[in-house]
Amino acid sequence: MAAERQALANLRVVEFAAALAGPWIGRIMACCGAEVIRVESKKRPDVVRGYVPPWAPEMGVQPQLSPWFTDWNAGKRFVALDLTRPEAVEIARRLVAACDVVIENYSAGVMDKLGLGYSELRGVKPDIVMISTSGYGDRGPHHRYITWGPNIEALSGLSKLSGFPERECTMTQYAYPDTLSALHGLFAVMCALDHRSRTGEGQHISLSQTEATIAVIGDVMMEYLANGREPKSLGNRSLHAAPHGCYRCRGGDRWCAIAVFSDTEWESFCDVLGHREWRTDPRFSTLSSRLENVEVLDELIGRWTVGRTDSEVMFALQEAGIAAGVVQNTEDQLHRDRQLAERRFFEEVPHLKKGTVIAAGIPLGLTATPGRSGCAGAAVGQDNEYVFSELLGMAPEEIRRAIDVGAIENSDDR
Amino acid sequence: MSDAATGARALSGRRVLELADERGVYCGKLLADMGADVIKIEKPGGDATRNIAPFWEDRPHPDRSLFFLYTNTSKRGVTLDITSVEGKGLFRRLAETADMVLETFPPGFLEDLGLGYRDLHELNSRLVLSSITDFGQTGPYRSFKSSEIVAAALGGSMYVTGEGEDPPVKLAGSQAHMMASTYAAVSSMIALYSSSISGKGQHVDISVEEATVSVSHICGVGKWLDDGIIPRRRGTGLFASVPSGAYPCSDGMVYLMINRPLHWQALARWINEVTGNQEVLDPMFEGPSSTRQPYRDLLDLFISELTSRFTVDEIYHEGQRRHIAFTPVNSAAAVARDAHLVARDYFVEVEHPGTGRFEYPGAPYRHSATPWHIARPAPGVGEHNEELYGVELGVPAEQLRSLEEAGVI
Repeated sequence: MAAERQALANLRVVEFAAALAGPWIGRIMACCGAEVIRVESKKRPDVVRGYVPPWAPEMGVQPQLSPWFTDWNAGKRFVALDLTRPEAVEIARRLVAACDVVIENYSAGVMDKLGLGYSELRGVKPDIVMISTSGYGDRGPHHRYITWGPNIEALSGLSKLSGFPERECTMTQYAYPDTLSALHGLFAVMCALDHRSRTGEGQHISLSQTEATIAVIGDVMMEYLANGREPKSLGNRSLHAAPHGCYRCRGGDRWCAIAVFSDTEWESFCDVLGHREWRTDPRFSTLSSRLENVEVLDELIGRWTVGRTDSEVMFALQEAGIAAGVVQNTEDQLHRDRQLAERRFFEEVPHLKKGTVIAAGIPLGLTATPGRSGCAGAAVGQDNEYVFSELLGMAPEEIRRAIDVGAIENSDDR
Repeated sequence: MSDAATGARALSGRRVLELADERGVYCGKLLADMGADVIKIEKPGGDATRNIAPFWEDRPHPDRSLFFLYTNTSKRGVTLDITSVEGKGLFRRLAETADMVLETFPPGFLEDLGLGYRDLHELNSRLVLSSITDFGQTGPYRSFKSSEIVAAALGGSMYVTGEGEDPPVKLAGSQAHMMASTYAAVSSMIALYSSSISGKGQHVDISVEEATVSVSHICGVGKWLDDGIIPRRRGTGLFASVPSGAYPCSDGMVYLMINRPLHWQALARWINEVTGNQEVLDPMFEGPSSTRQPYRDLLDLFISELTSRFTVDEIYHEGQRRHIAFTPVNSAAAVARDAHLVARDYFVEVEHPGTGRFEYPGAPYRHSATPWHIARPAPGVGEHNEELYGVELGVPAEQLRSLEEAGVI
């Protein structure tokens, strides 16, 4: 069968962005075949490029080697422009004119100040779709405040509403608002492109990471909004199921999550644990009695799980039709999870400096146009030649002049 | 009426058939609030997601589940038994008119009914079928049982959430399902984009487990293969950012994160001004986070001496004035009253005909030409049966009644 054309193969995207929340939008689009061009400057490097390899700190900062830079930027083109120069802004505008989508996450007001705000860019490319993502959105009393992904977990209510009841602030280690905002941002862009294809009209999208994060805990927030009551932190428990939790298994920091919903599941669960008598025990025989006696129930289950490995617990329960899963860390996911392996979730990504690297896949599940991560490890300005000369058709003279005035920065890599 | 109520809709003209449980309803909401005609197809009597507690005013009722109300805005609702012969027939007729079908059945369920991707593709070659399952359509775990907490476990998010000395813990709400839904919305739109160019739809295969691994990938394989350190939960601070974490104020907590040398200098100056601490100005603390890594505990003490002298609001606004990334650790009440969100009209009031009104969380994104908008509250059970089957498909009233009596709708 002939290779299918990639889903976004006819789109071109330019990105004025750094860190995660903005760049991940472009990364996913590139994976689907869009041509994504990142504009950078050596004068204001992406924090992600400020990377010292932990295996060789003596090498110092290595802007092409960061694994995060791979995760968020594989498959993009890179040009180097010093946007404080008017000549560079002019080139950036020409680039926008050749694009369908602009992604930016500079600090509030910076794009406008550079002359690259939406109203200007619309003049250059009337049907451009532009997304600006930031912590607070582009207006409102705090829109200039600075945040990182983890700040948003706290600000949105997520960290207070999550976790065990006795903990006031429960944080992830993965800056969740950054990735969830990027996915919402990409959805917003695709909606705008759908509208454009029907009407020819472009538009500007402003995304507040705080608002996107509240949206994914919206059902929890409704407890306050509708009933005027602070939602309870449930930790690992549920209002609908018992047992429902995370149980210690054999070995250090090894755990298995278990969730028992129906009475049939509860009966099978008792059988697997070798405690048929629990089925008729008045403390446990119904869901409401199990919820009432959940402390003692959890303790009894823990006595069973702690003598077994997490996988033994998971597979014994799954065989009996009960939802159970190992609390996996990243090593488990790469080396032990047969499901992720069979579905080839982790990808081997070509890398300019390292040959190949392993990265988490982008699980879009597009069966006819599966997409693929392009090359990682590009330098600032890696694709100057292609973009300025081939794509924009700038003459060698013109490019040289732009370099001389400092508008185009030379690439470190050649 | 506001602009949002009268403006153009990004997805107007797109029709989506939704056969989805708690794993997929947020996907339908994302599409519906952007203007797609999302027809929620429930089994006769209504879906089980209507029973999810808590309830509005604590009155259990199929139309009062707060989860259901939140995740089904802007949709129309019909009932249909797609396993019956007549039900299949009606579903096929609807599929001919649709751009997309969203479903969360176990792998193979629709195929067994003769409504799998191939069958639907024959009816409507542009159609996108988006399936959300716990583990995907293929692979050795495809028939395993799962749930929100099991997905958070296998997906890796739990292992890196919470305090080091606590067991792994899940986040509030149902983040594994929300991310699977969001991924499904993204993929479906990409598939629709592709379909409008090539004329060919496709099957979108979303795995809840993979979606969860994907959104927590900062802690994932790339970093670990590079430094050999498996990320685990470690309280409120992030390993790579020093200082970072939650700090006590006189009336609550604030969150702080420092990643840039200038931000550190601003913080050190403030600590010095308020507490008279001279040590904090020591140049050995300056530079990127890695230089402060060995002094994390000491710096946490210095910062607490500052924050505990003020209220959350004082630290938040004065800190931000000094370009330091302080944010409050907000309760739901504090979020609902937040001056910035209120000024942006984030929360939107939704009228529930006959039962009252209250505010919902609003737009996750602001489109200048086609604003996000809640067109209607979540539908009642079979609320649009008459409208869809009778008026739009032209099924005679007589026949509708007999379908109802036969339990098909």
